[in-house]
Amino acid sequence: MSQLVWNGLFVGSFYALVALGYSMVYGIIKLLNFAHGDLYMLGAFVGFAVLGAAGGVSAAMALPVLLLVLVLTMGVTGLAGVVLERVAYRRLRGAPRLSLLITAVGASFALEYGMRAGAGADPRVYPVRLSGTTLEVLGARVTLQQLTLVAVAVILMIGLNLLVNRSREGRAMRAVALDPRAAALMGIDVDAIISRTFFLGSALAGAAGVMAGAHYGKIDFMMGFLIGLKAFTAAVIGGIGNIPGTMLGGLLLGLLESFGTFWLGGEWRDVFAFGVLILFLTVRPTGLLGERVTERV
Amino acid sequence: MRKFYSTALVGAMASAVLLTAGCGQGLLAGDTGSDEKKNEPIMLGMLIPQSGSEAAIGPYMSNAAQLAVDEINAKGGVLGRTLELKTADDACDPQSAAAGANKLVTAGIHLSIGGYCSGATLPTLPIFAKADIPMIIPAANSQDLVDQKLKNVFLINGTGAQQAGAAAAWMAKDGATKVALMHDNTSYSKDIALRTQALVDEPGGPETAILEAVTPKESDYSANITKVLAKKPDYVYWTGYFQEGGLIARQLRQAGYTGKIMVGDGSVSPKLIEIAGPEAAAGLYATMTQTPDTLKGAENWIADYKKKFGTDPGPYSNQAYDAVRLAAEAVTKAGGTDGEKLISALEAIDGFPMFSGPLKFTPEHTLSTGGFQILVVKDGAFALQDALQ
Repeated sequence: MSQLVWNGLFVGSFYALVALGYSMVYGIIKLLNFAHGDLYMLGAFVGFAVLGAAGGVSAAMALPVLLLVLVLTMGVTGLAGVVLERVAYRRLRGAPRLSLLITAVGASFALEYGMRAGAGADPRVYPVRLSGTTLEVLGARVTLQQLTLVAVAVILMIGLNLLVNRSREGRAMRAVALDPRAAALMGIDVDAIISRTFFLGSALAGAAGVMAGAHYGKIDFMMGFLIGLKAFTAAVIGGIGNIPGTMLGGLLLGLLESFGTFWLGGEWRDVFAFGVLILFLTVRPTGLLGERVTERV
Repeated sequence: MRKFYSTALVGAMASAVLLTAGCGQGLLAGDTGSDEKKNEPIMLGMLIPQSGSEAAIGPYMSNAAQLAVDEINAKGGVLGRTLELKTADDACDPQSAAAGANKLVTAGIHLSIGGYCSGATLPTLPIFAKADIPMIIPAANSQDLVDQKLKNVFLINGTGAQQAGAAAAWMAKDGATKVALMHDNTSYSKDIALRTQALVDEPGGPETAILEAVTPKESDYSANITKVLAKKPDYVYWTGYFQEGGLIARQLRQAGYTGKIMVGDGSVSPKLIEIAGPEAAAGLYATMTQTPDTLKGAENWIADYKKKFGTDPGPYSNQAYDAVRLAAEAVTKAGGTDGEKLISALEAIDGFPMFSGPLKFTPEHTLSTGGFQILVVKDGAFALQDALQ
């Protein structure tokens, strides 16, 4: 039982990290950025390239080196997110929502198959992998590397929360999310704020990509597709646009999958998880912590 | 057991020639007479991928077939006629394969010895059947090919049923008691898992602890693994492909599983070992058809191949080579190239020496024995563990 909880929380923390970017972008420009999962993939490949360029890394140095790579990758994927917004989304901001949605799907394919063309269709394996001792915690097998990854995820999420709720920057973001036109009238540079939101969200996805590469080892050009969908589900369950809700949604989805697999069998896991998504959309479309938005006319 | 190659080949050919010289020629002279031109070469057609995603496999098969053709011709051919190989590209694609098959039929081939991708081979079956051309399929092995129940189709690669048989036999031999079967819900993988389950559950020997399906293309299988390990198996058999196989092997070990792990032929790839990592992959078993580097007593054959083409033989080289030899044997036994007689001759073959062991077809025209062997990961590579002969 505790093993199931731990498995769910571990997978859920990945979902939460990726879902945050979804949620922030949706919160600020009401766009479902379907290319977001591919920024996770991009992060994994950037980390792979940096590690490859760094050459051999001894096992003792693995963790500090990976943390450094993580920070570097967050910068690169963050910038990629900014470029994506500038190239693909900014000019369409006044266009119907459907055009933006289709553009996002197009951007997703461009990233996936661009990576395939650049790096090949064969899966790659991370040259440095975390390996840690196993601990028994309340009857669950937990490795130190898993604890480290969850700790990193929690630190990133706390940092994000502080940034959004306590800084000037964050206040500007919240203002733009509430009403971009009024925010612009108050002297906020809306374009810059949207760029920064993309930077933050994409950096978190890139961090998750490197962490997945370092933990699971295998990366490939399609790895962002499924996790993108799962992160979207997590965001909807928690309340898209709401940061604590999204984190909660990620963890909840991880737990749902873990228990769904155990109770119903592996072939029913996605039926179970996505069934819950449909249930949420019908019963509580705003998600667990999402607030009811009055339709603006 | 397998050191027969050059000697057995000469022996088989010689006895066959004697046989036909003794009674065959005279008896058959009447009905093969008029429309068959005695001096024309016997044409073997071969559909293989020469372009597209599987293009790398094509040369391994056509080179090996050419090697067999040249060897047989050097010994005087078959019934005094030479063999001639004609290849066509199927690009591992059904449309290209159908076009290629029509091209070969028009070119007047007598036997087909090609077929690598099952999906591309399937539409060629009726084309060759209509033209009364027997097919010896060296690589494609989907159950769909067997289910067409066409009498001109013969498969010399092991099928899913045989893979399951090999897996069950090895697990019983290796002392398994509780077997966990994991598949990815694709028809290929699920078929092997279900067939293995049926064999494992026969009275005596091991029993199935759990049959678990996973979602392919994921990274985290810990939920599935927790469920599998809750049943305390001592053997886990994964029947899907190498990407998930590598992750599952690694995550099984991380979850503290110390029993044995075995994978199916879709997982036999150096990438699996890379993904799982050397420690997790060490001692992992695999059910696999014969490849040149796991054949015993094939050193001379590999050397011949290398001398002729400058590269090592690869996957399905040995099956393609055997397909040509089998075709020659069938023509010899049938005393000509009449389709009906070739089919009867192939059906009657018993104990013809091949890399996969002595050949005898089942009523379904698949291998009755052999085909699969057990590999083990040793020093970071797949090596032969047990030939199951």
